[in-house]
Amino acid sequence: MLSTGTAARALGADQPDAANAPLLRVDNLRKTYYLGRVDVPVLRGVSLRVDRGEFVAVLGASGSGKSTLLHLLGGLDRPDKGSESAIEYQGRALGAMSAWELDRYRAEEVGFVFQFYHLLPELTVLENVLLGPMVRYGRLRYMARAKSARAEAEELLNTVGLGHRLRHRPAELSGGERQRVAIARALINQPTLLLADEPTGNLDHVTGGKILDMLMEVRRRRNQTMVVVTHDEETARRADRVIRLMDGVVVAGQ
Amino acid sequence: MYQALLTRRYLFSKVMPLLAVVAVMLCTSMVIVIWSVMGGFLNMLINTGRTLTGDVSIIWPTTGFRYYEDLIERLEKDPMVAAAAPMIETPGMIHLPDGRNEWVLIRGVEGKSYAAVTEYADILWWKPLDKPLPKDKLGEDPRLHGIDGTSWKQIYENGLKLERTNPATGEAEPAAVLGIEVSRFNYRELGGFYTPRTRNVPQPDGSFKMLDLFLPRSGQVTLNVLPTDTTGKGVETATAIFPVANEFQSGLYETDKQVVLVRLDALQKMLRMHPYTAAPEQEMSGEETFAAAPETGPVHVPGRVTHVLVRGKGSEENSAELKARVWEIYDEFAAAHRGEVPLSPTILTWREMNGTFITAVEKETALVLVLFCFMSVVAVFLVLAIFWSMVAEKTKDIGILRAMGASRLGVAWVWVRYGLAIGVVGTLTGAAVAWAMVHNINPIHEWMGRAMNIQIWDPRIYYFIQIPNKVNPTHAAIVVVGFILSCAVGAAIPAGRAAFLHPVKALRFE
Repeated sequence: MLSTGTAARALGADQPDAANAPLLRVDNLRKTYYLGRVDVPVLRGVSLRVDRGEFVAVLGASGSGKSTLLHLLGGLDRPDKGSESAIEYQGRALGAMSAWELDRYRAEEVGFVFQFYHLLPELTVLENVLLGPMVRYGRLRYMARAKSARAEAEELLNTVGLGHRLRHRPAELSGGERQRVAIARALINQPTLLLADEPTGNLDHVTGGKILDMLMEVRRRRNQTMVVVTHDEETARRADRVIRLMDGVVVAGQ
Repeated sequence: MYQALLTRRYLFSKVMPLLAVVAVMLCTSMVIVIWSVMGGFLNMLINTGRTLTGDVSIIWPTTGFRYYEDLIERLEKDPMVAAAAPMIETPGMIHLPDGRNEWVLIRGVEGKSYAAVTEYADILWWKPLDKPLPKDKLGEDPRLHGIDGTSWKQIYENGLKLERTNPATGEAEPAAVLGIEVSRFNYRELGGFYTPRTRNVPQPDGSFKMLDLFLPRSGQVTLNVLPTDTTGKGVETATAIFPVANEFQSGLYETDKQVVLVRLDALQKMLRMHPYTAAPEQEMSGEETFAAAPETGPVHVPGRVTHVLVRGKGSEENSAELKARVWEIYDEFAAAHRGEVPLSPTILTWREMNGTFITAVEKETALVLVLFCFMSVVAVFLVLAIFWSMVAEKTKDIGILRAMGASRLGVAWVWVRYGLAIGVVGTLTGAAVAWAMVHNINPIHEWMGRAMNIQIWDPRIYYFIQIPNKVNPTHAAIVVVGFILSCAVGAAIPAGRAAFLHPVKALRFE
């Protein structure tokens, strides 16, 4: 997908050494929130790398800056001034991308899974998943591939065990089922990078374990690069590498 | 693509957008109904004025002018003119059979020529009728059945000729044709037709006498007019009794209540404007002479009229051209009768004759429209307020869409499109409701009168008996497009707000 995607071309995937370079490189990343007159530094010089096909867990207590890091990696937020080139995706700084390029980056390269699922309540399970290709391709290009997109969405939902609930609304699903829909939605565009923010944080132990199994299965099948933010040690244990974050600084696993 | 899906789902999954649709619908229908009724009122006013006076009128009030036959002949020779007719117009008083006296406007006309210039033949009320009026569901209109053996055909012909045969002498006498509301003896039924009333009138001996109030059968009225001389001084009140030949309904209440038509020659005599022959030194009391050349023999003094009505061959839009041509013809006529006819009479188109009133109604229509449009700005703010709160409610959705790669413009388009959808559904429904309301406005009004004793459209105030019930498609289209755009504008501000929401803040929104 990278070799054909618009964002991939924009991101320099055609460079000769792209295959050997880390997918993500973070170097001295800083992010400060401004709450009125008070500056709250959340990330204070984070550095890390994520290789292709790697499952990286970012572990830390609440308020350590895990989610902020994830949002910055996903292009949802921008680093502090002076830190624009701190995140490189396939060799290109996210901070240097235009708004349009960041939109394409999120649509084509990244899939998000959130702790609270974030499904659109008015849409059915199938429509929630199809939202990905609709956003990515736009009206005309989506219409040209509507059938295949639908077939792919149905297949994904079958894979996550929800093939029989295509027309159900999120309100009619359990927490685990909603998270499975969210995972299917994140994967529908075959993203290079899957970013998950506490994917089991809102689920009981058993259901959370199943969701984690599912993510591991996805990773195995697709050689999916995953960055999972969690405060759960058990989730972290299943990762290839664990990065520990404390007070906005990486303290281990860089 | 996702915008269309979300618009559809947002529109029908919540009560709030449906409330916005209802608000837009009500505002749209309100403006269309107002514009249709007021615009229709204006059109009726203009058209009715034209049907009673022709396209152009040549006027020299009070004293009138001579040689009108020559003027009419000259006018009718012109290719632009279809017909011309003489008329006298004077204020007067009518004495009705029940003893009432009313001030009226008396017009002297020749039935045939007046019918050629105006819609007189059509507006005569009492005539044979083949089928009931659309609103007369039970077929109760007396014109369908007759009143005590009345011959509608005869009454209609009487009306056309403005005369009625005197049963005692067997001779046709000049008669009057009253506006249908002049006598107040005709009761207007809900079916749109009139039923003559009966009335017990107290007599000096204390008894009551049942009056036959169907005037065209055997009723008569007394007309009083005040002839004037050339200086405008009243001469001597003239009084004459006229049998009633028929009644007319122009649709313009003010006209139907005030105008009485009589045969031209009869009114000329009453006003001393009739033709006569006299010795050169002899003058009729109060008669002016237009400096006739001295002659030795008896002098024929031609009759006078105050108006010559002209009907053009073209459409009503050509009235101004016709007026210019009438001026040319009149100038030739005045040159031929130099010193005997006024040099500069008033020549007005039908629109100019009613100019003050038409302009007033036009201004009133515009004012009412502006006021209602201001009120309809409420719809814009309503959409804005509803969308503002919906954007707040859907903040998380916006964050999700942004996280999936939706652009700011794409997110804004969700809301603008949503506003447009509310606008389209609301305005089209509103237009349909307005059409149904306007189309049935008279039955609705009558039902309100029956059920709630409410009469909003009082013909004595609004002139017309019927409420205008046609929707102008152009006006409706302007209102529909205007409201759709207003909704888009109302949605644009919340859409901008949605587009510039920070995706992370949106996702964290509780």
